[in-house]
Amino acid sequence: MLKATLRTFLAHKGRLLLSALAVLLSVAFVAGSLIFSDTVSRTFDRLFASTAADVTVSPKEGLDEAVPSGRTATLPAALAGRVRRVDGVAAARAEVDVDGLTVVDEDNEPVGPTTGAPTLGTAWNPGERSPVELTSGHAPRGPGQALLDSETAGRKDVRLGDVLTVIAPPGSFRVRVVGIVTFTTTNPGSARVFFDGPTARTKLLGDPRAATGIAADAAEGVSDQQVKQRVAAALGPHSYDFRTADEQAESDVERLGGFLDVIKYVMVGFAGIAVLVGVFLIVNTFSMLIAQRTRELGLLRALGADRRQIRRSVLTEALLLGLIGSTLGLAAGIGLAAGLIELMGLVGMNIDADEMAIGRQTPVAAYAVGLGVTFVAAYLPARRAAGVSPMAALSDAEVAGAGRPLRTRAVAGAVVAAAGAAALAGCAVSERTSSAASLLGLGVVLTLIATVIAGPLLVRPVIRVLGSAFPALFGPVGRMSQRNALRNPRRTGATAAALMVGIALVGGMSVASASMNRSFDRQIDKTLGADFVIQNGNFLPFPREVTDEVRGTEGVGLVVRGRFAPVAVRLPDGDRVETTAGGYDPRLDEVADITYTQGDTAAALADGRLAMDRDFARDHDVRVGGAIPVEFQGGRRAELTVGALTDQDSAEGFGTQGGLYFGLATLERYAPGGQDSALYVNAAPGTGDDDLRADLEETLDPYPQVQVRDLADYKQLVHDQIAVLLYLVYALLGLAIIIAVLGVVNTLALSVVERTREIGLLRAIGLARRQLRRMIRLESVVIAVFGAVLGLGLGLVWGVCTQQVLALQDMGALAIPWGTIVAVVIGSAAVGVVAALLPALRASRMNVLAAIAHE
Amino acid sequence: MSTPAAQHAPGLAPADGVAARARGLTKAYGSGETTVLALDSVDVDVVRGRFTAVMGPSGSGKSTLMHCLAGLDTVSAGQVWLGDTEITGLKDRELTRLRRDRIGFMFQSFNLIPTLNALENITLPMDIAGHKPDGKWLDRVIDTLGLRDRLRHRPSQLSGGQQQRVACARALASRPELIFADEPTGNLDSRAGLEVLGFLREAVDRLGQTVVMVTHDPGAAAHSDLVLFLGDGRIVDEMRQPTAETVLERMKRFDVIRGRSEDPPGSPGPPGES
Repeated sequence: MLKATLRTFLAHKGRLLLSALAVLLSVAFVAGSLIFSDTVSRTFDRLFASTAADVTVSPKEGLDEAVPSGRTATLPAALAGRVRRVDGVAAARAEVDVDGLTVVDEDNEPVGPTTGAPTLGTAWNPGERSPVELTSGHAPRGPGQALLDSETAGRKDVRLGDVLTVIAPPGSFRVRVVGIVTFTTTNPGSARVFFDGPTARTKLLGDPRAATGIAADAAEGVSDQQVKQRVAAALGPHSYDFRTADEQAESDVERLGGFLDVIKYVMVGFAGIAVLVGVFLIVNTFSMLIAQRTRELGLLRALGADRRQIRRSVLTEALLLGLIGSTLGLAAGIGLAAGLIELMGLVGMNIDADEMAIGRQTPVAAYAVGLGVTFVAAYLPARRAAGVSPMAALSDAEVAGAGRPLRTRAVAGAVVAAAGAAALAGCAVSERTSSAASLLGLGVVLTLIATVIAGPLLVRPVIRVLGSAFPALFGPVGRMSQRNALRNPRRTGATAAALMVGIALVGGMSVASASMNRSFDRQIDKTLGADFVIQNGNFLPFPREVTDEVRGTEGVGLVVRGRFAPVAVRLPDGDRVETTAGGYDPRLDEVADITYTQGDTAAALADGRLAMDRDFARDHDVRVGGAIPVEFQGGRRAELTVGALTDQDSAEGFGTQGGLYFGLATLERYAPGGQDSALYVNAAPGTGDDDLRADLEETLDPYPQVQVRDLADYKQLVHDQIAVLLYLVYALLGLAIIIAVLGVVNTLALSVVERTREIGLLRAIGLARRQLRRMIRLESVVIAVFGAVLGLGLGLVWGVCTQQVLALQDMGALAIPWGTIVAVVIGSAAVGVVAALLPALRASRMNVLAAIAHE
Repeated sequence: MSTPAAQHAPGLAPADGVAARARGLTKAYGSGETTVLALDSVDVDVVRGRFTAVMGPSGSGKSTLMHCLAGLDTVSAGQVWLGDTEITGLKDRELTRLRRDRIGFMFQSFNLIPTLNALENITLPMDIAGHKPDGKWLDRVIDTLGLRDRLRHRPSQLSGGQQQRVACARALASRPELIFADEPTGNLDSRAGLEVLGFLREAVDRLGQTVVMVTHDPGAAAHSDLVLFLGDGRIVDEMRQPTAETVLERMKRFDVIRGRSEDPPGSPGPPGES
């Protein structure tokens, strides 16, 4: 039996090719993501482990900065002396390390990365822990000298002797590049500038006696842990954060972790899509191969093979396929990881591809996914094969499976669809975000399953409508292609399902994002009253110098500063909530329209007062006039009185839970040293907007990181942020489409083989090659468009329900992106045409006589 | 060895020309020492308005002759005309158009497109060509074949005989110059077979069509006006106004000849024979 299985497998290897490709793609993404993230984490583990001092003392930071506040936490540089005197410490030095700098050249063009990766300013401190070494020029001496890393210098063509302007929190200053340093380790994408110690302290921190940390080296024979304990004891254990090299590396990796996790999740998303869509392809291939082999299987049964043997034979074939696909997929995954590493190099993160880490779990996961997917996908067809009766060998039945009733499917599909619809309906009427979101997730999964199950049932009605114009447009060729698509609803349904999954995803996401865009637009229209907003493109804070320059610009009437600060609030119901609060200047009303349910702006921004969102207040038993203990970054605590409650749209977005804000003076008192994140500017009376804009742009010319935006620009900025998410979904769709196209190619190719005699007959009675190709192309188009229509229908329902969840976050606008929908339908037709290329060519090349004689 | 069929049918109604003609038609498979001649310099004229049967033992080249005359297969040497058109040397596109517009086909099995109903199958060649069927003629063909109440049926809903009648109607519907039937009764029981042969006969007598039928059944051949006997790629004999008995007698002589001068063992017959 095994011999027969192997023979069959080899005989059909051409037909299994595309299935193997689907397995390969799934496995490649799984393996690639594992290898990539392993390699990257190992690289960073090594980087941080090699650059971390034995013991690091840093200022105590209690709160996560979900939104950057622009504060740089410092400690006295003199602590280095105290640390040095601790027993077991060989050496200690004050370090200055400030991120969020902007460095521009003499044309005011930014030298560092503009993608959001930081530009770091550091006190030059060569040594074995330094991630760089000086490769040309000399060490910086005095306030006018700096070193630049070679990667940045190379990218922007900066040479020794060039003059750069460093825009630091305390103010801008000019430096001459006196040396170039080269990374000895991986550079995680940042740009690095180095100054001598005093320059770093005064110019980056604005305090000649401050430092951002103390690095201590342990003496011979003393462990890091011991040194840490002794230093902590000497300085007071609760005064600062103390970390050993290992702990420091771990915390650094964690800081970078968010970014790595994003890549990991994206890759897992790709793998998931590949697996999901691949399953359809494999199911279809096996179903078709078994249908075509019905007589052969019947013969085996007639000769005495029992059902189990037949089933096992088919499953063995599937496992062979999985094995080959997984092995190739593993290899492709290594290639994919190498490609990703290369790609990271383009955005400035150089990881040594030679150090690729292939953990033990990678091949295990690869084979588990590859074999699992094929096994699961082949199980149903295998059962069907086992069900072939010995009579099939004798009868002349066309193709098994085509005519079997779909009643079971109808019932199962209806039940699951009803459950999914109930979940979605529940989501639509739900009042709470969390329950609505989980109902949405459940509804999405159930409706997807229902559509996959019931897909074959929808084939007849939908394709009748879709293809109804075909006979009129394309004559008998159109009629035959429409009927061919209807011929085996299961096959058409499963082929289209692969495309449906990707398109449903995009449909839902594009409805959600279009709705978000419209909601934000409305909200901006409603609340933003300023003529201009000045902001960093990445929403990062900017030095006060910028604020001063803007204030000094001719024609500026009013400037209201906006600042963010991480806070932790203890609420009356006992919850402690960490969030980001805003701080504003008093004349906020003139640049924004805020709806208050209690109190007003004056009460909200008064000294020692605080405002928050009405819903948040209600959920936590907060009342106007109540005192709320607030903890600020840096450890200071205050008790603020609730002065006003607001009715804000999307109060919960972007890590600003609760919509907390207070006067900027209050913020400055408890968390000094922050930088402004936004300036709301109104023109002075008699100054035209265009004139003011021109003047502001001139003022801001030396600060390329900040831009002037009016209402329309501001909306665009928000749209762009949402678009990033959408691009990711489009990339997922791209992959889903590639696999779905493979599926359509597969189905058509196998159908062409199956219909060889029919094609021969058609050719004999005068169907031209061109007409034959068109017939297959039209069938492909109708299958693809069917998948797209199903997917869009599903996606629209998902999108509308997602919008219902967003509405609970006060993003109430619903927008259907009709342009995208039309484009998807047209695009799917194009996909159909592409998928039909090879099968059509193959069919038209058939020898007429051989085709007629084909058994 | 050539046998222009026209000259050998004096007893029949006056022939008004030649529907198809072959001169020196040769078809070889393989090359070098393994060359097999399926057709060896055959000359043949198919007379318009007649029912011609082609008979011969397996491997005699009868199907190959039909395929070459119908433009389905290429020839190794010689010329073939359909009416006044020389079809040897035509490109695929021209051959396809020729088959579509000027030739009708019936095959032993799998004659119909399963997704189309009977009427759609019948008009398919004209639909493909974008021609409008001649309504009167179509009605006549349908009525002659007794398919009026089966037109909306799919092939799977028809019996084998009915399917073959639909195929016959399709071959007739576009009023082609020539109908080729390749063992049209091969898959049918004797009653259904007789029916189909009767219709082919009627197509010639009442509708004035020209039919060439390949068969190995003497009873089927008896329905024709003229039987051409093929042996080893050559036309070895012909018979006018045949009966089943005379054809059978003639075929038996093949066997006798065969039996006497048996080919060297292992010599392969030409492929393409059914």
